[in-house]
Amino acid sequence: MKFTISKALMTVLILTGGILFANVQDTSSVLKKMDDVMYSPKDMTGINRIVLIDKNGKEEIREAIMQQKGTDKRMFRFTAPASQSGIAVLSLPNDVMYLYLPAFGKERRISTSVKSQNFAGTDFSYDDMGAETFSNEYTSKLLRTEANVFVLELRPKGRSDYSKIIVNVNKNNYYPELMEFYDKGNKKSKEAKYTFIKIGKYWNASEIEMTDLKKNHTTKMQMSNVKYDTGLTDDDFTVRKLKR
Amino acid sequence: MEKLAQKIIKLKWIIILTVFALTLFFGYQIKYLTINSDVLSSLPDDDPVARLYKDIGTQFGGNDMGMIVLESDDIFKTEVLQHVKQITDSLKYTDGVSTVTSLTNILDIKSSDWGIEIGRLVDEYDLPDNQSELDSLKKNVFSKEMYKGAIVSEDGTATIVIFTLLPDADKQAVAKEIKNKIKAMDLPEKLYFGGLPMMMDDITNLIISDIIWLLPMIFVVIAFILLISFRSSRGVILPLLTAGISAVWTIGIMVIAGYELTIISNIIPVVLLAVGSAYTIHVLNSIIHNKLKDRNQALIQAFSYIIVPVILAAVTTAVGFVSFVFGAYLTMIKDFGIFTAIGILIALILSIFFVPAFISALSMYNKKFEAIQTEKESILSHIILQPLVNLLFKHPKYILTAWSLLLLLSIGSMFLIKTSVNMADYFKDDNPTKVSEKLMQEKFGGSLPVFVVFEGDMQSPDVLNMMIKTEHFMKEDPNIAVTQSVADLVEQMNDAMGEGKSIPDDKAKIEQLWFLLDGQDVMSQLVSDELDKGIIQSKFSSVDSKEIENFTTKMNKFIQENANENYKVELTGLPSVYVKLNDSLIRSQYTSLIIAIIMVLLIVGIILRSLSKGIYATIPVIVTILILFGFMGLTGISLDIATVLVASVALGIGIDYSIHIITGFNSHLKKNGDAEKAIEETIMISGKAIIINVTSVAAGFLVLLFSQIVPLQNFGLLVAISMFGSGFGALTLLPVILILVNRKRKIVANNINN
Repeated sequence: MKFTISKALMTVLILTGGILFANVQDTSSVLKKMDDVMYSPKDMTGINRIVLIDKNGKEEIREAIMQQKGTDKRMFRFTAPASQSGIAVLSLPNDVMYLYLPAFGKERRISTSVKSQNFAGTDFSYDDMGAETFSNEYTSKLLRTEANVFVLELRPKGRSDYSKIIVNVNKNNYYPELMEFYDKGNKKSKEAKYTFIKIGKYWNASEIEMTDLKKNHTTKMQMSNVKYDTGLTDDDFTVRKLKR
Repeated sequence: MEKLAQKIIKLKWIIILTVFALTLFFGYQIKYLTINSDVLSSLPDDDPVARLYKDIGTQFGGNDMGMIVLESDDIFKTEVLQHVKQITDSLKYTDGVSTVTSLTNILDIKSSDWGIEIGRLVDEYDLPDNQSELDSLKKNVFSKEMYKGAIVSEDGTATIVIFTLLPDADKQAVAKEIKNKIKAMDLPEKLYFGGLPMMMDDITNLIISDIIWLLPMIFVVIAFILLISFRSSRGVILPLLTAGISAVWTIGIMVIAGYELTIISNIIPVVLLAVGSAYTIHVLNSIIHNKLKDRNQALIQAFSYIIVPVILAAVTTAVGFVSFVFGAYLTMIKDFGIFTAIGILIALILSIFFVPAFISALSMYNKKFEAIQTEKESILSHIILQPLVNLLFKHPKYILTAWSLLLLLSIGSMFLIKTSVNMADYFKDDNPTKVSEKLMQEKFGGSLPVFVVFEGDMQSPDVLNMMIKTEHFMKEDPNIAVTQSVADLVEQMNDAMGEGKSIPDDKAKIEQLWFLLDGQDVMSQLVSDELDKGIIQSKFSSVDSKEIENFTTKMNKFIQENANENYKVELTGLPSVYVKLNDSLIRSQYTSLIIAIIMVLLIVGIILRSLSKGIYATIPVIVTILILFGFMGLTGISLDIATVLVASVALGIGIDYSIHIITGFNSHLKKNGDAEKAIEETIMISGKAIIINVTSVAAGFLVLLFSQIVPLQNFGLLVAISMFGSGFGALTLLPVILILVNRKRKIVANNINN
């Protein structure tokens, strides 16, 4: 009898130790793998459809052609609605942005240090659209493993408007399925649902649905006509190109 | 009447049981009583200005805005900034709070030759911690119109944290939580709370405090007076019981009818105890004075004798309260009038049915204290009433002259009456809401919100230019310091595009500038989602009626002169509402008083079967009301939402004393035919009842002096004064009129006979 108990105890200890060990091992690698899935293409072009849904369910739709190189160069060129057609936004590293308004025929540089500001009326903050990889900005901890996902808790290493992010990472393909953003009052303030599809060798976030739980406002970013690694150069991300 | 009395005695147990069952039922309803501390909800929906104000406040979130002010000798200190940040963070993470704007998180948008730099005025992660950083922050704040006097007071001693609540949040609960959280921080700076949600919490506390303090107080006061008057436990218990039951029923009915307790209706129980106990006193008094041996028969006889005067007294009082239903502007005043009138009628019904049944059932008949009664009567008679009668007959004209002089003086002073509509005046000087309001006025350009509402295409150059023009016009008024609109933001963005601070002529440009504004928190406070409506937000710093009226007149004229088919412009806000409220105060004073006078005159005339006697009866009360107005003019007590009710109430209650004198005079005249003798007897007998009644009602209303709400204090004082006035008038002025009229009649009769 005594033997059985201690044996069971041993088993439990070994198992727990194993889990703990696996934890440390897996967590950072899971996050790394997620970053790889999200940030691995050299460049990407596609049509970005932005659907804004207010608390009454009223929808507003914008469309833009999007180009991205690496993780930190991005260009949006709006095609709809008509009043915003031709507006272009170029984001460059170090929080530098250029905005082109065709009605004025000129561009302006916008530098913002306020990362919690939302991007162009969407529910995505500049922070959310940021170029930095998750593993650079957050430390991670495995909370639990579910049937299809690892549930990670990310805590910011530096300044952030979030106290933590809970991410569900797909076990097989390492793309995020759900991110829950917690404010510094430790309350869930935003939630992003991801839909990934495989295009060529990459996983593509064909839809990200971001909901601001406080405002009860949702933004859907839908990607279509996605092409990867078409050979975009830094030259495609210049002010001259912006005004094209 | 006797039949009714017999029936009541026969059905006494059924009546008693029914009353107790109903009391239990209504009492149970009180559990569901809620407090409505939202003073804006009392603004009438049928007034377009008030309606627009409420709608705008709801649509653009102005009514959901709260403010916290930190006051210190100098705001530009690291420690103070830390505290501002602490408050800002705490608010940001409070459930129900939508946005927070403070010195430590406000955006700082700089435009330069090359573009726009969006940053924060203060880096919240790295607060300025040395003198040069603090000095440069100070310089920055005072160099911009959008911060100076808006987020930091011009003297640099106060800063404000502004927050908005989510539309579906329980405003009051959130406000309370915020107050508690911030008080728990125990900060060294002086803190003030402002804005409607905060005010609502304060008002709720006032209402509860009034109920907790005034109700026991009025019970004790009335009990004390009853004890002195009746010197028996039943004389104390029965009137309090019936008045108390009527209060329970009234509140119960209010709950069932879906009404809430307001800063005015919370005194309904107090008024009912002060006024309603009188009817039971009359019934009791009549029973006590009946000296028949057969107890039952005595009760029946006493009942038949008293029923008409009691009904008359209650109905006229109820009329006084109902009369301002027709003239009042605020719905809470109407509710107060209706439910007090209902309560009075309930008190009447109870004293007619319940009191005799109760006395009969418990055999609480007259026992022993007649001796004391007579003795007391004689004290009162010898010291006050007999000398009074002597004076009346010796110098009737002197008394008339004295009253006339008083009247003249009063009519002269009436023109000094001021009106007051400022909600801050509802509170006592040491009340936190009042203190914050005062501070807001001194340091942040006032707290009366002004809105100019534009309907039209909010992206059209026409509309935006008109907005700018209107803002410039508004700022010419010394009481307008800051204005804010989407047009300002468009100008700012146009400047950022390097086109100068103006509205672009081209709509396409405006639409593209919108790209920069879309989704910013402030936008929902300035334009509608459909972009078909926008507002200019501002604050008016003065609460002076004249300045408010000048401003609204000027603004409305400007709006009319600039009318255009592309847009519709309307002015609203508290100043506009106050102008309406002010007009309505004076108008409702006239209408309610006229309605009350006509109704009372009719009722009294019909009961006395003589119009002239009806007129005689109302003279002392009307004179009293005029003197009351004179008193208000002299003492500076202004006409406000509560004092506007005094005249009708005074008329409704005060007429009872005249009725007593006239009915007494009639019956004594019938008995012995000598008018002068009849007057003497009437004063000697009814005088005592009047003095006791005046004292108890006046003392009851004087309890309102302890109310937390200033208009109610004045209301109590003025009603008490008018009770003394109309009581004294009924005992001096009315007899003198009767004496003089009779002497004249005698002379005329003699002349005819000769």
